[in-house]
This record gives sequence, structure tokens and C-alpha cells, in this order.
Amino acid sequence: MGVDFQNVIEGLMVSIRPLNLLWVLIGGFLGTVVGMLPGLGPATAVAVLIPITFGMDPTSALILMAAIYYGAMYGGSRSSILLNTPGDGSAIAATFDGYPMSQKGQAGQALTISAIASLIGGLFAIVGFVLLAKPLASFALRFGPAEYFMLMLFTLSAIVSLSKGNMVKGFIAMSIGLILSTVGIDLQTGVHRFTFDIPQLSEGIDFLVVIIGVYAVGEVLYNFIGIDSLGSGKKKVGKKWITKEQWQQSKWPMIRSGPMGFLIGVLPGAGGSIASMLSYTTERQLSKNPERFGKGAVEGVAAPESANNAASVGAFIPLLTMGIPGSGTTAVILGAVIMLGLRPGPLLFENSPDMVWTLVNSMFIGNIMLVIMNILMVGLLVRILDTPPKVLYPLILVLAFIGTYTLSYSMVDFYILVIFGLIGLAMKLLNFPIAPLILAVIVGSDMEQNFRKSVVSHDNYLNIFFASSVSTTLTIMTILSVLYPFFLGWLQKRKQKQA
Amino acid sequence: MIRLLMPVFFILLAVAYLVFTFQLPESQIGNPNGPRYFPALIGFFLLLISIIYCIQEWKQRKEELEEVKQLFTGRTPYLIGSTLVLILIYTFLFERIGFLYSTILFLGGLLFVVNGRKKWLINIVVAVIFSFVSWYSFSELLQVSLP
Repeated sequence: MGVDFQNVIEGLMVSIRPLNLLWVLIGGFLGTVVGMLPGLGPATAVAVLIPITFGMDPTSALILMAAIYYGAMYGGSRSSILLNTPGDGSAIAATFDGYPMSQKGQAGQALTISAIASLIGGLFAIVGFVLLAKPLASFALRFGPAEYFMLMLFTLSAIVSLSKGNMVKGFIAMSIGLILSTVGIDLQTGVHRFTFDIPQLSEGIDFLVVIIGVYAVGEVLYNFIGIDSLGSGKKKVGKKWITKEQWQQSKWPMIRSGPMGFLIGVLPGAGGSIASMLSYTTERQLSKNPERFGKGAVEGVAAPESANNAASVGAFIPLLTMGIPGSGTTAVILGAVIMLGLRPGPLLFENSPDMVWTLVNSMFIGNIMLVIMNILMVGLLVRILDTPPKVLYPLILVLAFIGTYTLSYSMVDFYILVIFGLIGLAMKLLNFPIAPLILAVIVGSDMEQNFRKSVVSHDNYLNIFFASSVSTTLTIMTILSVLYPFFLGWLQKRKQKQA
Repeated sequence: MIRLLMPVFFILLAVAYLVFTFQLPESQIGNPNGPRYFPALIGFFLLLISIIYCIQEWKQRKEELEEVKQLFTGRTPYLIGSTLVLILIYTFLFERIGFLYSTILFLGGLLFVVNGRKKWLINIVVAVIFSFVSWYSFSELLQVSLP
């Protein structure tokens, strides 16, 4: 099977060291708090909390960031259920039945079932991770520059075509990201590119500043719109414990959605939003009385929550085995990890398996901790939600500036931060997807290096698309991912004509 | 017509980027055109996709941009404008009067703008405590040197 149980056990031993447990607890808690803020999701939570990881050893930093990530996923469902304001795409499905449940006075039960569902989804995904990661890493070891280039191209095109809304806008966002990645001294030849004689630009634009600018400053500015009309979180939570009937209703949906969410999470570009939507619609189709959905059906909360948490664990697989992030949030984590001098990729499993397995085990522990935290402290967490966003948004802005300063101790970065904050705001207003930009900024430079290396090793340009069976497959998948939305549109038109 | 502003901007950006790409100096090492290939590809791709975007927007030129309108309703212009001004002041003061004091001022100012003047006590308490805690945890616990 390729699973090295000794490494898994060793990882478990490292992850239960008190300090690492503490990081999981802190990360999970902070992630939950930021994720609970209406309008802010996991990507923002990780971006704004990156500076905490400076000076930490990479393993602990990874543990902390993963904890922030799934903490924010838990927190995101809180604001979906209680306030009907999802923090990001993956929390939308939780509003469909979660908010009606809290209107019926069953908020406490909705929160409990979402915590349990997240745990079940997370556990399925961790088992999947243990089984799938090592074989995938060994497979990726055989990748050359041409394969890597195609893999990145496929990931980018998949994230563009799957991000909601307009594909053209997605490709523009991606191109801007790639353009940004070409600023600075060319790594192979030392030629200064697009630096306009500004010395600070010769090292390139720091992608972490771009990330913090777009995800923290931009999101906060965007949330200033309509900040005065935000509902207060004061809600009767009601009973915490779910009834036997509710458990019966949601048991199978949770179990079904876990593995499905995990597999979707592994695919580049897909991730939490698609996983939770797909599991919601699947459960509605499977249900004997689908009319209950949308009116506070407990399984309508359980299924998407299980799926999106499973997807968030699954998203770590392409990140750790190939060094390719499949979503906005994992791209942010990759950016932070690179800063710490770590290169995720197939070699990570060869050189530091202890790190990988420590992370996996800590995700397992963290999921259990979060469930306990979320069920026992429902009251306290709801009270945090009462802390007016008007106080919390300014705090996030300040954190963004502190984080940026600690990156390079340069005031020039403050201006770059604000510029990207405004770009982020404009993108949100004009419905440009943000993930393709972030992903492109981070992988752009690698993509170019791989492109040039593969052009050198193949005389003919076109050969890099068909250098091996892997490249050919990836080329076909890239083309399919671009054509897929058109095909979907065509199908819908045909359906409408028939109807 | 305001809808065409963005596509035209991207077309100009693509053209400018391509012009700069072809003006890049030839490399002394390896392939003299090495540094140009990838930027040229992106530039042409952005140009192509921006033209498609332009055509799309042209077809909807009569529809209004609802989202952008929100930017000019209610307190939003005041909130975003004041935030930008406070950021400029913060940037100016940061290295001059040090992290702690400038952050108290910045955060306090933001809270007064966003949270309102009526809640002055909470604003001041939060600004002071948060600034102090973050200063303490970064410079003492995480040993990051702050001005």
C-alpha cells in the first residue's frame, strides 16, 4: 500500500508534544474567531495570522496554519448558521438549512450537528490522506519540468473554470498574477525585468504582501460596505444536544459526504465550495422527502459540513505531494511555508516524512479538539460573535500591517499592501475571482522556470505538451477544463429547449 | 459606457507589458531571448482575453453595475476614505514615533471612524490593550524587532 506505519506512529508521537498541541489549540481557536466574522473566510484567517509563524520551526508552523485553516472552516459555518452570512464559498451551503434551523430556535442543534459532521468528514479525509499521499508523491517524483509546467497550467485553468462567475475575468486575474510574478531579476540570466529602476522591485514583488493585501485589507474594505446593516449575533441558541431522530437523519449523509468531499478536495481547483454544494444537492436528490430541504432539514447541514471539511484536508494532498496548491487558502499556506524555507513536493516525503506525518496526526487531533471546543463552548463562541464586527475589522487591518512589516522591515511594502488592498476591493466589486490571481503569483515563477527548462530539453515548442504520457494527459485535461463550462452551458440550453 | 473602462485598461496594460517585454535587454547567458519568452506568452494571452472581455462588456453596456454603486452609498465612501487617510498617517508615523504609539493612534482612529464616537471608551481600551499585547507578543515573545 505504500503506507509506512512506523512513520505514522512517529508523527503521532511528535504531534502530541505539549507545544504542538498548544499550537493546534491556539490555531484552531484563532481560526474559528476570524472564520466566524461575517464575510471573512479561511484564506483571510491564514493570511492575517501568517506573522505568528515567523521564527517557528517549519513543522510547528505547518501545524499552526493547518489548525487555523480548519478552525476557520468550523468558524465559517457558525456565521452561516447564526447570521446567514457565509465567510466564503465553502460555507454557503450551510446557510441553506442552517439558518432556517436557527430561525426555528434550533441554532444550538445546528451548530452541534455541523461540528460532528465536520469531525466525521475530517476523519474520513485523514484516512484517505494516509492511503493516497505516499503513492501520489512517489508518482510525482517522476515528473520533469515539462510535466510540472503542464500540471501548473492545468491547476490554473481548472481553478479559473471552476471559480464561480465569469471565466474571462478568471483568466484576466490569472494573467495579472503571472505578470506580477515576472517582476524582478530573472533567476536564470540575471536580467532585470520590469523593475523600472526601482531597487525594491529587483527582488520581485513579495507574494505574501500581495496575499495579505488582497485577502486581509481588500476583504475588510469590501466588508465596510453595508457594515451598518449587519444583524447582531444575539440569537437564542436553544438546545445543544441533538435528538436521536436528528442523528438518524444525518448519519448516512455525513458518512457519504466525507469521502466524496475528500476526493473533490484533492482535485486542483475544486475544493470546499464545490464539495459542499455537490453533497447538498446529492443528499436532496437521495432524500425520500426532498421538500424538507431549505426549511431547516438537519441533514442539509450535516452533508455539506462533512464534505467541506473533508475537502479542506484533501486539499493538502496536492500541496504536500506536488507543491501545487489547489485552492486560494492552500496557496496562502504554500506562500507562508516557502517563506520559512520549506519546499513542499514529492521530495518532502523522502526527506522529512516525520514532518508530513506529524501534520496529518495533528490534523486528526485538531479536529477532535475543535469539536469538543465547538460543542462545549457554543455559548462562549456565540458571545464572541456578539463582539461587533466594527471592532474586529479594524483589528484585522492592524494585523495586516504588522504582518507586512515583519516580512521585510520595509515601509515600501506598506504602499504595496494598500495598492493590493484596493485591487482586491476592486476585484470583489467587479466580480473578478481572487484565487487565480493568488495562485498565479505564487506558482508563476516556478512555472516559468519549468517552461524554459522544458523548452531547452525539447527542440520543438509543441513537444512540451506531449513530452510524455503524463504531459499528454494533463494537456487533454487542461483543454477539457476550459471547455467544460461551455459544455455545461450547451447542456442547459438543450434542457431548456426540451422543457 | 463606464463598463468599457476596465477592458480598455486591461488591453492597454497588455500592450504596455508586451512593449516592455520586447525592450528587455538580451541575456548574456544562454539563450539571448530567454527572459522574454514567458512574459511574451502572458502578454499575448492577456491581450486576447481582454479583447474578448471588451466584447462581452460591450454587449451589456446598457446594464448598470449594481455592485460598484454600493461603493457610493451610505457611510461606505466615508469609511473607506478615512481608512486610507489613516493608513497614510500610520505609514508616516510608524518609524518616526515607534510601533506602539503609532499603532494606538491608528487603531484608535479606525475604531472611532468605524465603531463610532459614542463608544469612545471601548475604542480607547481596545486600541491600547490590543496595541500593547501585539507589541509585547511580537517583540518580546516572537523576538521580531519593531521600531
